[in-house]
Amino acid sequence: MSTTSINLSLEIWRQKDSKAKGDFETYKLTNISTDMSFLEMLDVLNEQLTREGSDPVAFDHDCREGICGMCGAVINGIAHGPEPETTLCQLHMRHFNEGDTLVIEPFRSRAFPIHKDLVTDRSALDRIIQAGGYVSVNTGGTPDGNSTPIPSATAELSMDAASCIGCGACVASCPNGAAMLFTGAKISQLSLLPQGQPERKERAMAMVTAMDKEGFGNCTNERECEAVCPKGISIRNIARMNREFVKASFF
Amino acid sequence: MFFIQFLKSSIGKKWIMACSGFCLILFLCSHAAGNATLFNSIPLFQAYADQLHSHPLIISVLSKALSLVFVIHTTTGVLLFLQNRKARSTGYKVQKRAVKYSQASRTMIFSGLFILLYVLAHTYAVSFGDHATIGLTISYLFSSPLVVLFYITSFIVLAIHLSHGFWSMLQTFGVNHPRYNKLIRNLTYIVPIFFLLIFSAISLLFIF
Repeated sequence: MSTTSINLSLEIWRQKDSKAKGDFETYKLTNISTDMSFLEMLDVLNEQLTREGSDPVAFDHDCREGICGMCGAVINGIAHGPEPETTLCQLHMRHFNEGDTLVIEPFRSRAFPIHKDLVTDRSALDRIIQAGGYVSVNTGGTPDGNSTPIPSATAELSMDAASCIGCGACVASCPNGAAMLFTGAKISQLSLLPQGQPERKERAMAMVTAMDKEGFGNCTNERECEAVCPKGISIRNIARMNREFVKASFF
Repeated sequence: MFFIQFLKSSIGKKWIMACSGFCLILFLCSHAAGNATLFNSIPLFQAYADQLHSHPLIISVLSKALSLVFVIHTTTGVLLFLQNRKARSTGYKVQKRAVKYSQASRTMIFSGLFILLYVLAHTYAVSFGDHATIGLTISYLFSSPLVVLFYITSFIVLAIHLSHGFWSMLQTFGVNHPRYNKLIRNLTYIVPIFFLLIFSAISLLFIF
């Protein structure tokens, strides 16, 4: 595949700090290799801005291989950009065309205050995990693989839920700013496994209560979260959480 | 108390919407069945109405329960709409949806409020009239093309509301399994179209 270069116009949300008002600024980028990742393209922009003596665009990133959940922004209205099941760092510039205008906005939700530019505070998700997203037993050394039999299909379902990287795209894309796909996945991954059974009810109660306390909205089943999730997590996990929460509340 | 705690939670509110929605769908079924007597004749419909009103206790309890369920569904829906707007007070510059055909889910509050308007108009015109001559009232009402147009528009809005509401209700109840999802997807079309066809046909009976 031959490398080509494209010229882009970027409209990026710039906000000095969490209290500042913030607005869009337009930048022109020329000669962007289509082999670059989206974040590399932002790196090029930041080098350009630094050379000009301007403040570079702040954005979150860490592993840049789609597994840490740190990166994320809304590109032309879609969280993590137009490619399905792709994190922003794994999105490549070959998916854009010469002369495209890209509007880059931070993840928006009442529960995700903006720190600076595209950097948002997603610690609300951490606090949901702290409320019950764990098994509070010291397991000691690695147990024998077959000591606790788990049906393969169940293990797969749990693993599908556990593939959530906690990036917050579900919240950003939800018209109601709800965190139900995240919380549903985190409740599901443990409720499906035998190790998660002893704390199953307390976990569902505590995590849903923590989610509500953080100021996330209510799910109205719009399925936007599932559509943008870089790990393709199904809203079946939300249905499971609905069952888990009712069971925990009433029985 | 655990029950109040449940109702106040985000998932509890979803369950309020789903349970009240389910009751309203059951009411639509019974309403459609009863009104289907009009396909036979006005006297048969009148006989059905007379029979119904010969049990004042049942009518009184059911109509009050229905009103209560309707009020709960409406107020919780409006409350959720307002709460959710606050949770995402700042929108995006580029407003784009990743899900195709999401018009119904996006407009639930508006289709819901239109149905509220319709229900108010419908109960004012029909329910508060004289039960003994309800058959005549209906035939008189539906002889006006404007009234029929308003009714059919309302039934289309109801079908749109149901096309999201029915599936959404099952998802809230936790019914989401690959084995049944195809059936549920089909029902998402069948249920609203069924109500649309049967109610529209009834309202068209007297115009020709």
